[in-house]
Amino acid sequence: MASLTCARLLARNVGCLRNSINGRLRCASSTFIHVTSRDEQRLLHCIARTTLVPQVKCNRGYCQDVRAKPKSIKDIEERVLKAVAAYNKDIEEKGLKDTRIKQVRHYSHAPPLSLDLIGQRVLLVLKLYDKVETAKLSLESHFMDDLGLDSLDHVEIIMAMEDEFGFEIPDTDAQRLLRPKDIVRYIADKNDVYE
Amino acid sequence: MSQRIKVIQLYKTLLYMGRDYPKGYEYFRTKLRRAFDKNKTETDPEKIDKMIGHGNFVIKELEALYMLRKYRTLKRRYYD
Repeated sequence: MASLTCARLLARNVGCLRNSINGRLRCASSTFIHVTSRDEQRLLHCIARTTLVPQVKCNRGYCQDVRAKPKSIKDIEERVLKAVAAYNKDIEEKGLKDTRIKQVRHYSHAPPLSLDLIGQRVLLVLKLYDKVETAKLSLESHFMDDLGLDSLDHVEIIMAMEDEFGFEIPDTDAQRLLRPKDIVRYIADKNDVYE
Repeated sequence: MSQRIKVIQLYKTLLYMGRDYPKGYEYFRTKLRRAFDKNKTETDPEKIDKMIGHGNFVIKELEALYMLRKYRTLKRRYYD
C-alpha cells in the first residue's frame, strides 16, 4: 500500500516538474523576445503613473457632485427651515414641549483674579473645612494660634488650596503660609496679580 | 531633612493616595488622622524613624492595592 502511494506521489511530482520546466522555458523565450519592448513599457508605465495620479485625486465622486450642482444658500436655507417646521409641528401634535437639553457651553479664559476675589475664595475653602470655626475666621487669623489647628490640619488646608487654585504648593513654601492673608499673597504672586 | 518635614510629607502623600480608597476618602482620612494623632506625643527619634518607615510601607501597600484593583477591573471587562 505504502509503495503504491509513493509511486503515485512520485509520478505526480515528476509531472509537476515537467510542467514547471516547460513553463520556465516558455517564459525565458518570451523575455528574449520582449527585451526591447520592455524598456519602453517601463518608461510608458512611468509616464502613465505621473499622469494618472492627479486624475485619481479628481475622480472622487463627492467632489465632482458638489461641483456639478452648486446649490444656492437660499435653497439650503429653505430646506432646513422646512425640516425644522415639520419637526416642530410633529412635536406639537404629540403634545411635547422641546425635549432637548439646553446646554450652554462657555469656552473662555478663567475669570480674572483680583486680590479681593482670591481672598473670598480662600475664605470659602476655609469655611468648607470642617474643623475651622467660621466665627473666628478672618484673613488675619493664625491657623495654629487663633483657630486651634495643628500641622496636619494645615497640610489638609494647603491641599484644599492646591485643588481650588489648580497648582501645587511645595512643602517649603507651605510652611510659611500660616494665615489666610499669607495664602492670598502667595497665590497672587504666583498668578501675577498685584491689585 | 528634619523629621517633622518628613512626617508632614508622609501625611500629605498618604492623603493623596487616599483619594481613590475603595471605602471613600472620608473614611481613609479619619483613620489616617487617628493613626497620626495616636503617636503625636512620641519624642524618641528612633521610634519616629520606625513609624515613618511603617508609613512608607503603607504607601507601598496602597499602591499595590490600586494596581490589583485596576488589574481586576481589566480582567472583569475582558473575561466576564
